[in-house]
Amino acid sequence: MKALQVIKYGDIKDALAFNEVSLPTIEANDVLIEVKAAAINPIDKGIILGNLQALLPLPLPCTSAYDVSGIVVEKGNEVSHFEVGDMVYSRVPQEQMGTLAEFVAVTSVAVSKKPGNISFEEAAGIPLAGLTAMQSLEASGLKKNDRVLIHAGSGGVGSLAIQYAKAQGAYVYTTTSTSNLAWVKELGADRVIDYKTEDYKTIAKDVDIVFDTLGQNHSLEAFEVVKQGGIVTSVVGPLDEATAKMFGMTDYKLPEELAKASRDKGAEYKFIFMHPNGSHLNEMKTMIEDEKIKPIIDKVYTFSESIEAFTHLASGRAKGKIIVKMC
Amino acid sequence: MHLRPEAEEFLYSISKEKTLHKGEVLIRQGQVVKKTFFVTAGCLRSYCIDKNGKEHTLLFAIKDWWISDYIAIHTDELATLTVECLSESKVIEFNAKELDGIHTRFPEFESYQRHNLERHVVSLHKRILNQLQLSAAERYDLFLKQYPDIERHTRNYHIASFLGITQESLSRIRAEKAKK
Ligand SMILES: NC(=O)c1ccc[n+]([C@@H]2O[C@H](COP(=O)([O-])OP(=O)(O)OC[C@H]3O[C@@H](n4cnc5c(N)ncnc54)[C@H](OP(=O)(O)O)[C@@H]3O)[C@@H](O)[C@H]2O)c1
Repeated sequence: MKALQVIKYGDIKDALAFNEVSLPTIEANDVLIEVKAAAINPIDKGIILGNLQALLPLPLPCTSAYDVSGIVVEKGNEVSHFEVGDMVYSRVPQEQMGTLAEFVAVTSVAVSKKPGNISFEEAAGIPLAGLTAMQSLEASGLKKNDRVLIHAGSGGVGSLAIQYAKAQGAYVYTTTSTSNLAWVKELGADRVIDYKTEDYKTIAKDVDIVFDTLGQNHSLEAFEVVKQGGIVTSVVGPLDEATAKMFGMTDYKLPEELAKASRDKGAEYKFIFMHPNGSHLNEMKTMIEDEKIKPIIDKVYTFSESIEAFTHLASGRAKGKIIVKMC
Repeated sequence: MHLRPEAEEFLYSISKEKTLHKGEVLIRQGQVVKKTFFVTAGCLRSYCIDKNGKEHTLLFAIKDWWISDYIAIHTDELATLTVECLSESKVIEFNAKELDGIHTRFPEFESYQRHNLERHVVSLHKRILNQLQLSAAERYDLFLKQYPDIERHTRNYHIASFLGITQESLSRIRAEKAKK
């Protein structure tokens, strides 16, 4: 079968190649999915550039991408929740990475039926970003009437996080640039802050939760806007100590400035690594079918245009998700 | 209908009662179809999935309706429809081929089968004509008349995809109706 593979680390154009590879084999708990569409995420770019070698050492060549929607064409003996012919979507686990291919084998616990009211292309854009939004906001203890600042409301994660938070009854501040203001407002955000012309720190004050999808100065600044006793949840800032331990970094310490800011505000700093989870995707399916969440697609590329799709992603200007359709 | 004991016995031999839970799939697109179902309680739905992966609802079956993939049964092709149970339901499952041929052994079924088929054709023709000439709001009104308390069982996107409109349009129609 055809697959888009990372052949070496480095510049997108040199690092990726279309290869002929063998069909994945399935274990007892796996389903084999015929890929209809895949989505790409910043982590895929990180892998290509070699930035994640320390955390995720991968034998090269390896097939790229984690997000998939498609049809179950084969299932292992122990799979009971899916049948051949089911339309599904998934964020595949690390060990099974490689959705930019004609087929991918996925452990069935990471798979869910896809929402029936959206296309394969729309569904492919949901898993990784949607699970990140959902798991991060849940871990932040988000509840009705909470005031939450979600950075990069026009990004893959942000656009879903806004809708998830609104569905829980929160008041949402979000940041984006001028050209995205109108459509991000339509997602339901209560106050869309134009980071080109406004200073979000003077607008979102004393919020219950900051969801940091930008990192760098934003992780530390979050403690200027979070309320006393609030929570800052990041998916890009420094690891927190518990997460670092999980990766075997036993003497890791949170950077001192961040630790101090967190102490001063009595506000917790959390780092979230999203994890694949079929039942979370199933919850998201219901929210999508009930129109609480709608997928936002920037552009759909064909498989042969995948490398351009990565160049687009690398611009950092994606408006929602970047999708690759297989046929 | 009065049945001879042999006819009744034969009917039992090709059927069985089933209780279904919500979400159960009776027929799956791409599979061979051998069964047809008579609904005695609850609600089922048949739909097709287009090449983009979106669902289009063909039919809702409530009490006293038949449901299956009749295209597959009568053309000996694989299912193009999926039939799923929308809420806890009871059905009588029949072997479709044997049920179809029942009148050759027991002529008393002939008029019943004919009547059923006529009813089915009438309902299909009405559905097509309505789709061609009525507004979405009028179709929604008719739909509610035809399936009075169906909204207990269905999700919005099921109804929108039956009427051939977007979920946004359905919400708009409902909001307009609520104002009246
Ligand atoms: N830890 C985890 O498990 C996890 C999971 C998923 C994602 N992530 C990380 O989370 C980050 C976001 O992911 P994503 O998929 O949402 O990325 P993305 O879709 O590529 O984000 C692009 C968006 O970011 C916006 N943006 C850029 N700079 C901004 C700024 N200063 N203020 C506000 N918005 C800004 C851009 O809007 P403008 O064009 O208007 O600037 C654009 O719409 C990435 O770094 C990713 O690696 C982590």
